[in-house]
Amino acid sequence: MFKALTVTAFIVTTAISAPAAASELRVGFTLDALTLDPANHRKRETETIIRNIYDGLLTRDAKMKVVPELAESWKQVDPLTYDFKIRQGVTFHDGSPMTADDIVFTFERLTKDGAMDGQTSPRKDLVGPVKSIAKVDDRTVRFTLSEPWPILPAMLPFQEVVSKAFTEKVGTQGLATQTNGTGPFKLVEWRKGDSIIMERFDGYYGGATDIPPVGKACVDRAIFRVIPENASRVAALLAGEVDIINELPPFDMKKVEANSNTKVMKVNGTRTFFVALNNAKKPFDDPRVRHAANMAINKALIIDKVLLGTAVPLNGVMSPDAFGYNPDLPAYAFDAEKAKKLLAEAGYPNGVDASIDTEGAFKEMTEAVASMLTKVGIRTKVNVGEGSTLRAKWSPKGEKTGDMYFTSWGNGSLDPADIFVPTLKTGDRGNSAFYSNKEVDALLDAANVELDQAKRADLYKKAQVIVNKDAPWIFLWLPQDLYGVSKRVSGWEPSADSKINLHDACVK
Amino acid sequence: MKPLALIGRIAQLLPVLLGVSVIVFVMMALTPGDPVEIMLADQQATPEQAQALRHDMGLDRPALERFGIFIGNALTGNFGLSFFHRRPVFDVIAERLPATIELTLAALLLALAISIPLGVVAAVKKNRLVDRLAAIGSLFGVSLPGFWFGIILIILFAVQMRWLPVSGRMDFACEVAPITRLMTIDSLLRGRPDCFADALSHLILPALTLALPMAAVLTRVQRAAMLEVLRSDYIVFAQAKGLSRRRILWRHALKNALVPTVTVAAIETGSLLGGNMVVETVFGWPGLGRLVVESIFVRNYPLVQAAVLLYAVTYVLLNFVADILYTLLNPRVRL
Repeated sequence: MFKALTVTAFIVTTAISAPAAASELRVGFTLDALTLDPANHRKRETETIIRNIYDGLLTRDAKMKVVPELAESWKQVDPLTYDFKIRQGVTFHDGSPMTADDIVFTFERLTKDGAMDGQTSPRKDLVGPVKSIAKVDDRTVRFTLSEPWPILPAMLPFQEVVSKAFTEKVGTQGLATQTNGTGPFKLVEWRKGDSIIMERFDGYYGGATDIPPVGKACVDRAIFRVIPENASRVAALLAGEVDIINELPPFDMKKVEANSNTKVMKVNGTRTFFVALNNAKKPFDDPRVRHAANMAINKALIIDKVLLGTAVPLNGVMSPDAFGYNPDLPAYAFDAEKAKKLLAEAGYPNGVDASIDTEGAFKEMTEAVASMLTKVGIRTKVNVGEGSTLRAKWSPKGEKTGDMYFTSWGNGSLDPADIFVPTLKTGDRGNSAFYSNKEVDALLDAANVELDQAKRADLYKKAQVIVNKDAPWIFLWLPQDLYGVSKRVSGWEPSADSKINLHDACVK
Repeated sequence: MKPLALIGRIAQLLPVLLGVSVIVFVMMALTPGDPVEIMLADQQATPEQAQALRHDMGLDRPALERFGIFIGNALTGNFGLSFFHRRPVFDVIAERLPATIELTLAALLLALAISIPLGVVAAVKKNRLVDRLAAIGSLFGVSLPGFWFGIILIILFAVQMRWLPVSGRMDFACEVAPITRLMTIDSLLRGRPDCFADALSHLILPALTLALPMAAVLTRVQRAAMLEVLRSDYIVFAQAKGLSRRRILWRHALKNALVPTVTVAAIETGSLLGGNMVVETVFGWPGLGRLVVESIFVRNYPLVQAAVLLYAVTYVLLNFVADILYTLLNPRVRL
């Protein structure tokens, strides 16, 4: 047995140590792609893989600014109309040129009911209230909306452009496993459940001109290897089998840092955590009680001890990376004495009983929050419930019977229209604090139709100041995404939208 | 075996499958969690989008109607579309099945290769050191959780010694055109010994992890059977005849002592299917077990239903095989 092992090991080692002519980058990834059809899934991990094979009309730079990719530029004509100039000279992997017709086809497939051989795209609402997509001339495509939706450009990086001729040839079932994109890599082989092997596309147009370096991909081959188990993924990185891993568990950070060949890379995520306070009911209808709750929480301690330092504290709704983020919001500093005083002023000198709802996954963090609230006199009981049940209870159409709700809201577009409006505008679908402030509503409505982006940002900044003062929530934190990266990788940075773009990554 | 008995056996399969279908359907329906919500959880979706998806998945119909459609389609071999892959369930399962078969066969062979000699030796050296060690080993074998043992093997052989790969099924440099879709066999058939070695090196650790609990059970079975046989009259007679000890042991005794081991092995192969779910996840093995676990988490009803039916058929067939093996090895028994 051991002899056999040694012999095998010898053969393998010899095979691996043979001089590698081609440079190869391997990503240890949590999940396999569900499909390679850009329009037929609703999964970040699948999108991450597809995004290396297909390019989009727009994309984001490292600072999360939206920039043109297959488009050359875009212009908002009025709140309902956007014109996109299409880049010329781009070819698909099969060598055919990309045209305005492909763009129109791609977005009709995404937005029309039953457009994918009878199926409707699960990504339809990510393109928003699009009424029509039309070719104006060979170089221009016009999007017409049925209502104002200022985040259309911020949402377009989520969609990739497919070839009309190819899709019509292979059909929607064919597009699930066969690819013909315009991206920096073309598919070599998809070993289902095991790996996705890609090689550099030599006919690549170079990618977004605003994101240097422009040109072909750096490595000859890029491979996504599916390793779902955390411990195995970390082991594969430490053993040098893969160069980048996603979802590095926080407790393994030390191990990766201690290894001389690997390092940890962190980036802010896009999900805001908060405790929605029931603004429609005692005791949290009183702003003094809400302020007291915010002062009761020692955020730094929770982030340090429970989250092992992998989150950034927030004083408002939005991520520091988001459009229109206001960096000047005052923080509610941890101050238990002042919190007790505010409670007494509000008419609760002996404290008050309250409950906090949470899902099982967040139990530990919620208990930390609850114990801090209890210390200042808001005696908090933790109720663990099931996600869909809790969402129904805390829906703005619900009974408004709860006290507090530990929850979160994802903001992949990094635009306030996709988080601020749904969670804090009066009666909107995610407003679980039942917050209502006419001034905030007016600012959000004005921002929704404002064409001047600087003015739009200002409107959101003003609204953030009001929300910070009203404190409808206990403002918590934004978790960071952790990556383990081999030191032989250069030119690659993790990105806040959790995509792994391998175009610029090189290996030594 | 009489053909009538065979038909009877196959007829027994039908109520089992129907029962399994009902149980799986009811259990999935009673499990909290909504596949549409899970699918849309990454980015908050509009209610219209959720409704469109619910319609696409057929979840807007009453449960009884859904069950009727499922049974009707299943009878014609159509298991519908996987909710998340949005492709036929049959295709998705077929892609992942060969990896599971290869791993299971390897584990089965490994378990037999460990347990038969060990069981024989333990029986012959009853109550001596080897026997005691085998007993302790078996105890560990059945008690060690697979996910833990697998990780320990990875840390030892892949990270520390770097002898074997951490995960996966074959290196990317090896592109072997499929014949049987079992990588070890295909690479041999295609004349690629380098790829065979690579496939084998990927296979060793997961197969060992999967084989261990089974090897532990089989060692005990083999030992008991051997002890029983060694006490029988014909062995005493053979010894009296002056046959060599080795000949008695490996030719006369083992042949009969193998009967229970082989039948238990056939039945235990069914339990390997459960072990697969853990081992495939730990070693990133692209098999069916991992797919089923992932599908349960996201409430991918069509895929789970089809896979459980497949497991049920396999289990029943393995029991059937065990019976046949029993009659073959022991001609006194007739079905």
